[in-house]
This record gives sequence, structure tokens and C-alpha cells, in this order.
Amino acid sequence: MKANWKISSAVLMAAILTTHSELPPRLLAGTSSVAAEWSVQVEKVIPGDVNLEPAFRVAIYENLLDELAKTKQFNQVLPDGDRRATDVPHLLVLTTTVEEYTPGSEARRAVTTVSGATKLKVRGQLCTRTGEVVFDHVVDGNVRFFGGNLRATYNLARNLANAVKQAKLPDTSSLASNN
Amino acid sequence: MIRRIIRFQEICQLGACLMLPIFFSAGLMGQDDGNVKSPSSTLHATHILGFESISKNANGDLSIQDQTLRFQTGEGSSAGVELKSIQDVFLGEEDKETGGTPMTVTRVAAPFGGGRVIGLFAHKKYDTVTLEYLDSDGGLHGAIFQLNKGLGQVLKTELEGRGVHVARAEGETNGLQQAGEKK
Repeated sequence: MKANWKISSAVLMAAILTTHSELPPRLLAGTSSVAAEWSVQVEKVIPGDVNLEPAFRVAIYENLLDELAKTKQFNQVLPDGDRRATDVPHLLVLTTTVEEYTPGSEARRAVTTVSGATKLKVRGQLCTRTGEVVFDHVVDGNVRFFGGNLRATYNLARNLANAVKQAKLPDTSSLASNN
Repeated sequence: MIRRIIRFQEICQLGACLMLPIFFSAGLMGQDDGNVKSPSSTLHATHILGFESISKNANGDLSIQDQTLRFQTGEGSSAGVELKSIQDVFLGEEDKETGGTPMTVTRVAAPFGGGRVIGLFAHKKYDTVTLEYLDSDGGLHGAIFQLNKGLGQVLKTELEGRGVHVARAEGETNGLQQAGEKK
């Protein structure tokens, strides 16, 4: 009985090992490894029709660079205008367009609790070099109770980075001809 | 009588000759003062974000040394950006709560809505200076500094004086346009 159990467990282990070695590493790691083949270049934030303060525009951009790097989804996270981008084989370009902005007030939040929230809503799009959109998402970032107004930009960047992390990006080989 | 008039004229001429160098030297001294003060002057500021080697919300001093805008924290770490790589400077204003986390906790814990009264007075207006600059690879970056009210204008004027492009606020632009239209 003991010998049977040993043999069956050895066979099972061998079967697992064989299956594991035959599967391509990309499938084993799930979507994150697919994304890791891509690099991303973050473009300057487009204010659109919204009258956005320059500090907010810069803060969204800088926080996006930080948060996208933290997700470890991309080989490289490059800023707008970086010369190294021309040599990167699989590059996605992130364009961020502001759709809504409600300027808030920290003082009003402290006194009234219900008013004075800072609200931001942006559309984030990841495009290939040929202009094919592989990710399109609208995210928001708000500050309702505690923290300075610029905290909305951090919340927004974190939400957009999380959305990118959860998104299924296409395999680089399927778009290899375009990149 | 004629002698007296001639003497009076001579004295006036002599006086004028003596006064000229005095006026010029005063002007030169004034210029020297300005030149010596500006590079060594430091402004106390808070780094909100942007410089990689400096932590967010770090307090320190902003100064212009050797064509570089440098931020040095109290702990000694510093970071800088060359003036020629600065693309734009924006001046803004921010209303922030003073006292940090202890004040927030006190405000929340205060009974009978006392926190709201505290919230009314525990605020201060600050200037924010936003820079857009290029790194060594040509990549665009931004940095935001928070300064005491009035110091933002000082830094802006200093940077403008050194040839850095400074964006005009909406009001300033409108004012210039109106002045141009009047002409």
C-alpha cells in the first residue's frame, strides 16, 4: 500500500513537472509578464477644455511616472520627449486628457465637511507607435475630507496605474509588425 | 561785485564736479549689493514633488548657485536643475492647513463642532512655484515647491532676471493686452 502511494505521488510529480516545462513562461506568469515586454512613454497631460492649474498638470504627470513604475508592469517608464524612446522595441504611449476638474478648498472641507472637494476626471489611452489604441479608460481622483488639493492628482495617478495593471495588454508578438 | 559772482560760479562748478563721482559711486555700490546678494540668497521652501532624490514634503532651502537652482534639505541631501534646462515657471497660490497631523487629529477629536471653528483659523496661504524642466535625456519633468506668501514672486523675479522663461498669470496677460489696446 505504501509503495503504491509512493509510486503514484512520484508519477504525479513527474506529470506536474512535465506540464510546467512545456508551458511557455508567458502563460505561467499571467498577464503581468505580457505587459513587462512593453515599455511606456508618458506624454504631457492635455488639459483639454478644462482650465487646469499648471501645478495640477505637472503633479498628475509626475505621479503617473511614479505610479506606473511602481506597478512593475513595464520594462521602462519614460518621460515625454526622452531620446531613448526611439531605441525601445515595444513602446506604448500614454496620453492623458483631462475631462473634468472641480477646484476644491482645504479650508472649506475642514469647516463644512460636505463641500470643498477637489475632483479630477481624466481619460487615459495607451497607443502603439502606429496609433492603435490598446487601452482606453476614464478614471477619477478626488479629495473629499483630508489632505491637500494636490492629493487628488496622486489618487488619480494611482487609480490609472491600477487600471493599466488590471488591463489585458496585447501580446507584443501579435503587434510585432507594427512596432 | 563781479569778483564775488565769479567766485560763486567757481564754487558751484567745483561742487558739481565733486557731487558727480559721489552719485556714480552710490549707483555702483547699489549694483554691487544686488549682485552679491542674489546668488547667496536662499529661500525656505517645501519640496512637494518632482526631484527624485528628495522625499516629498521635505523642508529645505532653495538657492541659485552657478546657474543651477538647488534645493537642499535640512538633513543635507540636495538636488538641482540647471537654469538653461528650465522650460517654464508658473506661480500659483495654495490654501493649506497648518499644524500637520496633530492639528488634524485635534480638529477631528474636538467636541461640539469645535473642530470646525479650529478649521476656520488653522489655515495659511502659500505660494507655489511649478517648474517644467528637461533631464539629460531630453525627458520632460516637473517640480513643485511651496513657499511662504510673497516669496514665490521673489523667486520668479530672480529666475526671470537670469533669463528663465516665466509664464504670465492670466491676470497679468489680460493687463498687458489691455495696456496694448489702450496704446
